[in-house]
Amino acid sequence: MSQPSRLRPLKLEELLRRNVWDVDEERHIEILRQDGLPQKALQLLCPMGCYSMAGDKLLMSYEGCVECGTCRVLSTPQQIRWEFPKSGRGIQYRYT
Amino acid sequence: MNKFDVVVVGAGPAGSTAAYLLAKAGLKVLLLERGRGAGSKLLWGGKAYAQPLRDVWPELDKEAPIHRWVTKERISVLWGERAITLEYKLGRRVAFTSPLTELAAWMARKAEAAGALFLDEVVVEEIVVKDGRVVGVRSGGDFVAADVVIDAEGANRLLLEKLGLADRPNPYHMAVAAKEVISLDPRLIEERFGLERDEGLSWLVLGDVTLGIPGGGFVYTMRDTISIGIVLNVGYGAEAAEKGVLRDHISRLLENFRTHPYFRHYWKEADVIEYGGRMTVEGGLRFAPKRLYANGLLVVGDAAGMLVNAGYTIRGVDTAVTSARVAAEAVLEARDKGGFTEENLRGYEERLRKSYVYKELVDHSGVAEIFGDPFFFSKVPPFLVRAASKVFEADYAEPTLLEALKTSAQEEEINMLRLMLKVGRVVRRI
Amino acid sequence: MRIVVGIKWVPNTQAVRFDPETGTLIRKGVPSIVNPHDLPAVEAALRLREKTGGEVIAISMAPPPAVKGLELVLGMGVDRAILVTDRAFAGADTWATSYVLSHAIRKIAAEIGEVDLAIFGHETIDSSTSHVQAQVASWLDWPYLYYVKRVEPVGGKLLRVWRELEDYEEEYEVETPAVLSIAIKAFKPRPVSLSSKLRAKLEKRVLTWTNADLKLDPRCVGLKGSPTIVAKTIDMPEVPRKKEVYRPKDGKDAARWIIAKMVHDEKLREVLKGLVGGEL
Repeated sequence: MSQPSRLRPLKLEELLRRNVWDVDEERHIEILRQDGLPQKALQLLCPMGCYSMAGDKLLMSYEGCVECGTCRVLSTPQQIRWEFPKSGRGIQYRYT
Repeated sequence: MNKFDVVVVGAGPAGSTAAYLLAKAGLKVLLLERGRGAGSKLLWGGKAYAQPLRDVWPELDKEAPIHRWVTKERISVLWGERAITLEYKLGRRVAFTSPLTELAAWMARKAEAAGALFLDEVVVEEIVVKDGRVVGVRSGGDFVAADVVIDAEGANRLLLEKLGLADRPNPYHMAVAAKEVISLDPRLIEERFGLERDEGLSWLVLGDVTLGIPGGGFVYTMRDTISIGIVLNVGYGAEAAEKGVLRDHISRLLENFRTHPYFRHYWKEADVIEYGGRMTVEGGLRFAPKRLYANGLLVVGDAAGMLVNAGYTIRGVDTAVTSARVAAEAVLEARDKGGFTEENLRGYEERLRKSYVYKELVDHSGVAEIFGDPFFFSKVPPFLVRAASKVFEADYAEPTLLEALKTSAQEEEINMLRLMLKVGRVVRRI
Repeated sequence: MRIVVGIKWVPNTQAVRFDPETGTLIRKGVPSIVNPHDLPAVEAALRLREKTGGEVIAISMAPPPAVKGLELVLGMGVDRAILVTDRAFAGADTWATSYVLSHAIRKIAAEIGEVDLAIFGHETIDSSTSHVQAQVASWLDWPYLYYVKRVEPVGGKLLRVWRELEDYEEEYEVETPAVLSIAIKAFKPRPVSLSSKLRAKLEKRVLTWTNADLKLDPRCVGLKGSPTIVAKTIDMPEVPRKKEVYRPKDGKDAARWIIAKMVHDEKLREVLKGLVGGEL
């Protein structure tokens, strides 16, 4: 029996609900300087949609981060502080 | 207590291979992993070539979490609702599918069983250098000494960058992947893809799944899941986003791919059980660090740029394993020579240059050229699909193939001569 | 000072999904974690040990995979860990759990040395009862303080303890042995350290106790010893949430916007009407 609901594109939020994180209280990625950041690229290429706009500023929500490093290569160390979450926290992939 | 012969940073395929071989050879090995268990931070498409892995673990076929042996390779060019698909049925079992979370966990278990001490949840923050040689690693306030450190930290080379051996990568040398794991009854997978019980399929898709941005789509069948994903070159992807060519989030491209009429029947009732992302090396040799070895240090796996993208196939795990095997051999050789000096570790690069990995990296560097030429992604797919449509969708007399190609080239504003030159160059180099 | 910290190995509830078609919770492949609220308790214990000396012992009643969780707290610097595990303990409610834990604490006192303090997290993410700590205190007949946000040794058997309450703070002096329950987020847990982790692994610091060690009456433990009856469970449907960003000119503008949002929400409107006792 076909279930058409499965055949419609899922929203990012719906996809994120499939995952497991052990979120650290401490943020491991932080925007240090706004100017010069490729705003659109960060919003569209971060696979987890961690980057969004608040007014004219980029906002980074580290909770859903999978530590892939895409935002890292799209920025300089002066623009974004980038580390790994401590103590095994962060994304916990199961079937990938 | 805090002194080891070898400290390996990262329990991915490369790190676990090095730890396994060196522990087996009797060295005191510490294998460090930042994730919770090996594999919990890893994501890939899904296919590994078996023979280079058997060179390390002859028991691979019996013990490893092999889901399916790839018996079908498909490549599709997709544009709009139209698609051209080429399928190759393999004559023998060369590559298998497995979730990397499982495969890497198995490799780490092998290292542990061989006597390596495995510690997870430890983030190494620094490779410590003293008097011109690597002496160990630091995590938090703690220092662990080692005669030799093997850096298998992966594509995000925080440690090598700190050492000044690598720079933040060029975005055009990297690709970002978004992937979904779809859960489906094994019998349905076999029925729909035309596979036997332990057979699998590997499928690459080019064209407007990436909106013509350099990259592609993939499908791999696991035992009871299907792995599908979209890969975009980070540099070109970012360019497309800033120019407004890419307007949707990468997950939307992936969802459009999953629900595309040409694909969706394979998994129509199946649910997505996991969604992930990972950045991968596309640059190959261009991504290699400034040095692959130094006094007391070796770099292996993705961190060393050991990923071959041949266009029609991507090899990252077998090449990582092989680079680590070669590194382990070099470490043992250096030990026999009396120390892990730069001079004695030179064997690593020499052996690597003689291995198939290096040959692959050099031979397929032409692919970098394709990835450096958006023409192949934005112009060629619509051209091919248009030509096919003229041949297959003629109500009365269809054109000859040559006519179809010529008129399609005109309609897509492609210079045939330029196209043939480009194709010729690529065919020689992929 | 010898401090026992209670650790619960819980499914990562944040990752447990609800299948609306079958009406059940999907737990397949969901990894378990150390109850996040237990980590501040571990941190509180470690800081106290740093001031007074002694040792911190983590204790967990759980199936064998919970060793992973005990290894995590050992990696934070806990001195040793005890996994209390037995098929007979399965299916325990808070009552049976606290019974077993209190006996494990007695056994620690008898065999390892006097226990001065038992510290717990405020609650668990999978059941949120906050019962176990209080019950352990009553089994042991020790004083119990909860919502604890700060602990300082005073000397001798005295501790000074601060409790955080809704809009005031309380300061206590308590004589050990005692049971404390640490307020959520009162202490920021330290990351796992390489040397602690290494020490834990090399010295094999996880002990396992079964009921052969504790020798408890089988009628008092596990499912049999659990008076709690789950009459019915209701899965709450997921509430769809909308995200909106509004950049107010000033505080007044922000308040006006939020109120306007609220009165346009039908359900909320009903609630507000009830509150003000009439039309809005």
